[in-house]
Amino acid sequence: MPETDTGERPGTEADVTDAALGATGLTKRFGGIVAVDDVNIAVPTGELRAVIGPNGAGKTTLFNTLTHALAPTGGEGYLHGEEITHVPQEQRPHRGLARSFQSNELFNELTVLENVRIVVQTSETGTFSFGLLGDGRSQHVDRASEILESVGLSRKRETTAKNLSHGDQRRLGIAMALATDPSVLLLDEPTSGLGSKETGQITDLIRTVQEDLGLTLMLIEHDMGIVLSISDRITVLNRGRVLATGTPAEVQANQEVQDAYLGGMKEEI
Amino acid sequence: MNEIPLPGSSSRSLSLAEAAIWSVLLLVTVLSAVTRPGLFVDQVLGGLVYGLILVLIALGLSIVLGLLGIVNFAHGALFMLGAYFSYQFMAVWGVSFWIALIAAPLVVGLVGVVIERGVLRYLYDEDPLNGLLATFGLSLMIGEATRAIWGGAPKSVAAPQILSKGMDLGITTVARIRLFTVLVAVIVIAAVYLLIERTDFGLSVRAGVLDREMAEFLGVNMNVRFISMFVLGATIAGLGGVLRGTAVGMDVAMDEQFIILAFVVVVVGGIGSLFGSVVAGLLIGGTAYLTPLYLSTLASITNIEAINVPGIGGLVPYLVMIVVLLVRPRGLFGQEGFLE
Amino acid sequence: MSDRTSTINSNEVGVFTALQSVVGRYRVPIGALLLVFSVRPVVSMDLLLGYGAVANSILIWMLFAASFNILLGYTGLLSFGHAMFLGIGAYVTAIGLARFDSPFVLSALVALLVAGVVAYLIARLIAQKGEIYFAMLTLAFGTTAHFVANYDPGGLTGGTTGIAGGAVPAWIETERGLKYVSLGGFQFDWYFFVAAAVFVGLLCIWQLVRSPFGRTLVAIRENRDLARAMGINTYRYKVWAFTLSGVVAAYAGAILEVNEQGATLSLLTVQTSGDVILMTVLGGANYFFGPLAGAFVWLFAEDFLTDFETLVLPLEQFPLIRVDLSGVLSYWQFFLGLLFVVAVVVAPREGIWGLFRSVVKKAVDRIKSERDNA
Repeated sequence: MPETDTGERPGTEADVTDAALGATGLTKRFGGIVAVDDVNIAVPTGELRAVIGPNGAGKTTLFNTLTHALAPTGGEGYLHGEEITHVPQEQRPHRGLARSFQSNELFNELTVLENVRIVVQTSETGTFSFGLLGDGRSQHVDRASEILESVGLSRKRETTAKNLSHGDQRRLGIAMALATDPSVLLLDEPTSGLGSKETGQITDLIRTVQEDLGLTLMLIEHDMGIVLSISDRITVLNRGRVLATGTPAEVQANQEVQDAYLGGMKEEI
Repeated sequence: MNEIPLPGSSSRSLSLAEAAIWSVLLLVTVLSAVTRPGLFVDQVLGGLVYGLILVLIALGLSIVLGLLGIVNFAHGALFMLGAYFSYQFMAVWGVSFWIALIAAPLVVGLVGVVIERGVLRYLYDEDPLNGLLATFGLSLMIGEATRAIWGGAPKSVAAPQILSKGMDLGITTVARIRLFTVLVAVIVIAAVYLLIERTDFGLSVRAGVLDREMAEFLGVNMNVRFISMFVLGATIAGLGGVLRGTAVGMDVAMDEQFIILAFVVVVVGGIGSLFGSVVAGLLIGGTAYLTPLYLSTLASITNIEAINVPGIGGLVPYLVMIVVLLVRPRGLFGQEGFLE
Repeated sequence: MSDRTSTINSNEVGVFTALQSVVGRYRVPIGALLLVFSVRPVVSMDLLLGYGAVANSILIWMLFAASFNILLGYTGLLSFGHAMFLGIGAYVTAIGLARFDSPFVLSALVALLVAGVVAYLIARLIAQKGEIYFAMLTLAFGTTAHFVANYDPGGLTGGTTGIAGGAVPAWIETERGLKYVSLGGFQFDWYFFVAAAVFVGLLCIWQLVRSPFGRTLVAIRENRDLARAMGINTYRYKVWAFTLSGVVAAYAGAILEVNEQGATLSLLTVQTSGDVILMTVLGGANYFFGPLAGAFVWLFAEDFLTDFETLVLPLEQFPLIRVDLSGVLSYWQFFLGLLFVVAVVVAPREGIWGLFRSVVKKAVDRIKSERDNA
């Protein structure tokens, strides 16, 4: 667990080369729109970092750029101190950087078990493998079952993914990200669209997997209750820029953040 | 993805290789034009007519693809129907060419309504592959129906007297129906351009292409626009069919032949760009007709008969497409991210 | 229910379940084996065609369609140029036999190699393109292959006539229009050779799609972006799916070459590529047996419906109703096209085989529920 009194002031970050996940000057432009604007970020190993910000602040684009789902227009990315700016998206899970999606992105027509099993298989065999022998469906089942057990989906392993409830689909998304055996996990609004009971379950799940696996976690979340209760530190984005970074208490007290949020509220009303 | 400069906007100087290619091309053009001026004019005009017919088909294809996200494989069948309807009107019912020229495309438009309401509207939000597959099946049905009604043998109709004569250009004689085709095609292309770029209707259609949900939210009835644009595309293809049928006749293989080439035109021009379709249509028509001439000129200069590849004209469109897509993956004027 | 009967039942169930699990695991190879040897007896029935000659080409086309389904059904790639690989298989084999007097096996192996190399190179160029572009580019390459064969480079491919003379392996004997294989003193019907060869091909495809490699293809089909995000190099998988699919198609082409005693230009036409799409989708791209069902229905309909002149109801012996259908049914493609369009609109991946499966499943469920109620 990172110390809060490391001498950092709110809004500053540690050295990216010491961090589990880092970026310097990360920028993504779409034509004239700058969705991610000169972002510096450094998440120390073992931290749970929440990313918050109004709609359109560039949170998901930040995730997409960090995972190279979108190539950044500028800046560098770091994973465990190593520069990974130009490492293709599909290689990143093999280096320990995994993500879940805001919308339920699944292999819809496949069973829950098969969804996770394929990811385990990929994690074990690499970005490409000429595995032409044997029955694919009978391999890596134990590991996949273990992961399903840990997210509480064991009983639904034979259900087709598209037929799962919304909450279970979110669980499956997390299970698949876990199946890559990550050291750093990015979760994009893991509780969106869930009822309060399921939200609590997912939050507990996130806490548990982080503690059990010692993961570094980065999480986009709208529900401030969750953010304040589980995150070690918070990064606030607004219009693609980092407005502030700090402990929940520091961020709550930050004048700029208050202006941005409350100002944003006024505009929306 | 690397930024690729648009043609014309590039400020870099030509490389040596490019300069060499262009000067050879220019040289061969001049040589061909000088040694065989009659044939040269014939081929240029032939390429122009052919290219414009392709543009007439590609316009509708491009509109439907941009607006509805559907690759309409049956569009070539609509083109063929235009030709056969004009045969029905003129050769069977004895109606004059001028009435058939208007009526046959309108009937094709009606067929378009049936296709849109009967099949395509169920596929708008589906995987684009399904639209391609369903319209592929439709083209098979229309092809078989055509064979059943009009028979498998090629058919032709007589052009009206004023268009059937040739026009003497001194070095060669040009059939007037070809000049008429150029005239009609240019008018239609200009009209479509004005409709889409200069009218409120066109504005709302373009808004729908960019963001259908937002356009609907703003109160634009996209359904009406979908049908009318589909019908417009079908009618234009039908018109192309009448012109082609009158000039060179018709057969049941023409749908497949032309739909594939029209696809090539749309892909080369860049999916979603009407202007690109026009440029690509002319490019492909021109290269298909001029390449054989150039090769034969080259062969006679160099005395290497192997250069003169017979039937190369039919292959040129595909070679152009392969080269264009490898060099510019989105086609000449394609938009980023469109159906990629 | 008494204790005694229930014990017997549970024993029966035990044996039944064991059998079921073996059959369940190997149902595709078992089904394929039954299928390849039953096509000719079935189509030869008097009620159907009454002759079995078409069974050979039905089987070969089944294999061709199954090779296509590696792309469409399992990887989600629509190719409009698959005829190219069938054609390469047939042409290279025929060139080997007729022009170089090389033995069949060598010629066929070279054919597979050529098809594999061509497919690999094409796929390297186009596998990362969007689906519309991919479809059009495969079409362009397919047309190019047709052009090359038609151009007759070096007198190898024979232009429009194709390769007809001297393109039959030495171990094929023809007697009264029927082909026999004569190997090492044995002589057997050509049909059994085709059936065995097609079975081997189907077995390869089955192994391919059930392997870890094949399961990854399915993941790519289901969600390409997710597959990448989870660490799958979708591009390389697609390249190899295209290559292997091309090799299997060429294998079908090599068998077809012997069956047709040469290679014809029509193999390389867009129509051939189109037919295999129609067969596969009509049969049901979602299932291993879907394309086989589609190929069967397509080719069977071609022979059955075009010869079908009068519909005599209810029986020939009592001709109460005679309907002249010769005029309508010679346009059988119209009706199959209609069926195809309906299939795509209603359930694009299910097809005839999916329909058949759901009917069987419903019937089984009903029987089960009736038994449970009783």
